Amino acid sequence: MAGGILVIAEHLDGKVAPSTLELIAAATSLRVERHGVRLVVFGHGVKELADHLAGYTVDVLVAEHPLLAEYTGDAYVQAVRGIVESTNPRLVLIAHTAQGYDLAPALAGAMDLPVLTNCLAIDLQEGRLVAARRILNEKVHVEVEVRSDRPIVVTMRPGATPPQGTGRGTMSVTEVPVSIDPAAVRVKFVRMERPEVADIDLSSADVIVSAGRGIQKKENLRLVEEFAKAIGGVVGASRPLTDLEWLPKTRQVGQSGKTVRPKLYVACGISGAMQHIAGMKDAGLILAINTDPTAPIFEVAHVGFVANVLELLPAVLKELKAG
Amino acid sequence: MALNLVVCLKQVPNPDLQFQVAPDGKDIKREGLNYKVNGADEYALEEAVRLKEKHGGRVVVLTLGPKRTEPMLREALAKGADEAVRVAYDDPAAFDVGKNARILAAAIRTLPHDLVLTGVQSDDYAYSATGGLVAGLLGLPHASVVTRVAVHDGDLEVACELEGGLERVVALPRPALLTIQFGANTPRYAPLPAIMKAARQPIKEIGPAALGLPGWDAIPLPYAFGVVRLSPPVAKGHAEMITGPIPEQAKKLAQLLREKGFVRR
Ligand SMILES: Cc1cc2nc3c(=O)[nH]c(=O)nc-3n(C[C@H](O)[C@H](O)[C@H](O)COP(=O)(O)OP(=O)(O)OC[C@H]3O[C@@H](n4cnc5c(N)ncnc54)[C@H](O)[C@@H]3O)c2cc1C
Ligand SMILES: Nc1ncnc2c1ncn2[C@@H]1O[C@H](COP(=O)(O)O)[C@@H](O)[C@H]1O
Repeated sequence: MAGGILVIAEHLDGKVAPSTLELIAAATSLRVERHGVRLVVFGHGVKELADHLAGYTVDVLVAEHPLLAEYTGDAYVQAVRGIVESTNPRLVLIAHTAQGYDLAPALAGAMDLPVLTNCLAIDLQEGRLVAARRILNEKVHVEVEVRSDRPIVVTMRPGATPPQGTGRGTMSVTEVPVSIDPAAVRVKFVRMERPEVADIDLSSADVIVSAGRGIQKKENLRLVEEFAKAIGGVVGASRPLTDLEWLPKTRQVGQSGKTVRPKLYVACGISGAMQHIAGMKDAGLILAINTDPTAPIFEVAHVGFVANVLELLPAVLKELKAG
Repeated sequence: MALNLVVCLKQVPNPDLQFQVAPDGKDIKREGLNYKVNGADEYALEEAVRLKEKHGGRVVVLTLGPKRTEPMLREALAKGADEAVRVAYDDPAAFDVGKNARILAAAIRTLPHDLVLTGVQSDDYAYSATGGLVAGLLGLPHASVVTRVAVHDGDLEVACELEGGLERVVALPRPALLTIQFGANTPRYAPLPAIMKAARQPIKEIGPAALGLPGWDAIPLPYAFGVVRLSPPVAKGHAEMITGPIPEQAKKLAQLLREKGFVRR
């Protein structure tokens, strides 16, 4: 039963990752001929999850094993490998998430397969896969192609494809055997650590003014704080600022921080890397201040100010005080 | 328990720059770019040097790239690396992550390694794939997006960052490969005497022959890779752009905030 596309589902704490629905949509839109699209759910006690996913108009395979109860690269690579070998798909689709960074290249390395990661869009043509990517801080678009008679491992950037909706009726759910050699599972799960409780809850704020590396010095945070206060907002940050400990980790907006949806989001000196955008793109009104007119933040912002934030903010504060 | 540490360093164009596509559409224009060490790799190097200081051992920094990478390697020597190796692969673009990783893996095979560290992602191509590929190719256990590393007698315990601030702690035996996340530590500055000393240190060069290959294109690949075309991004949406003198921009911003009801008075 060769051909088709194998999509790897991602889930945590019994919940499907939103990126999985995006992968289903991306795979379905490729209109592959034989066998179409199959979604594989790996885990332990995930039958219910698999049934749920079959509602998204995709055939589901469930691969259960006690060693898949918690994700580890070693166990997953073995399990995925077994299914890739027995089904020989043209593509293996994985989300470009923390789990995807871990799994996709390691699978490709272990099986000696081609791999393309962090793709925004893919097109499967006769004999080749063409993928669209962004490089150099999102400032350059690139299309690359891969030709291979082996399955191609692809990771898709979360948020790049609209998610698959539920359809009429459900598709098949098939249990597939998994064999995992416990001795070859060298990576052992120890525990999960949950983030600390926040000093303020960014995700409930109506107005967020976020500072990025463009503010240049810790002292300049005062300016951002003063501006936030003037418009009844709280201060958030891009990751480099919380890494530098200029602000607590709980103020970080983005993939590895908070996802926020305020009425107003002002990005001050933030370039707009995909991991930052992931956390704020759904804000009601997005304003961005950046000296670089090509900064990708201007693609998600509604209004962009090409200015030095250290000059613009004092000028705006003056305007606001003048009334 | 001395550790043989190998750190992969990539040299990238300063990402704050604006970029132009070369006339043939196969690369960016490279004249006049300035280059630096990849952001995440600074944390990988610092982590390696700290592990060496704590447990003893040696740090070898490894890059795949043209001659222009040498200052980056010397900077790493000045920050505490013991040896620098350059895989003399001179393609200025080197877009094929699978090929790069296969060459790096072949080079790492020739170096003693208890622990291989890479950055979590390159600032220029953002594949987040090199580390995992190298681990898979070398059969090493690995962990990704690592923010903390503890070395115990037989194994390692590391924290891997997931989405939304969650961390998964895992244990794994050595030899292993870890991809190190931004912010894992605070990278040090190189002291002046060390910079002077590093300027005189030799950099080892590895060509294809040293890896038993007649040329870099002889590295076996299970696929053919090609760059179709580079182009300026076509944005799905774009901000209404405000430019001009600061006082005017400030007026517009203040007016906008008032109109939308974000100014309380
Ligand atoms: C696994 C992973 C998870 C991550 N998670 C997150 C996350 O949750 N949140 C997050 O934010 N990042 C995250 N990142 C990091 C992300 O990739 C970027 O590195 C980061 O968002 C960049 O922050 P920045 O925009 O502040 O800095 P930079 O990218 O350095 O941008 C600074 C910007 O400021 C502009 N600028 C400079 N000076 C001025 C001035 N005077 N006035 C106005 N503008 C100026 C520059 O033009 C530039 O656009 C993650 C990365 C990885 C690999
Ligand atoms: N040409 C290279 N030379 C040395 N290390 C590299 C090279 N390319 C990538 N790496 C390493 O792999 C990491 C991830 O890169 P990437 O897979 O391109 O996102 C980087 O942070 C580096 O540590």
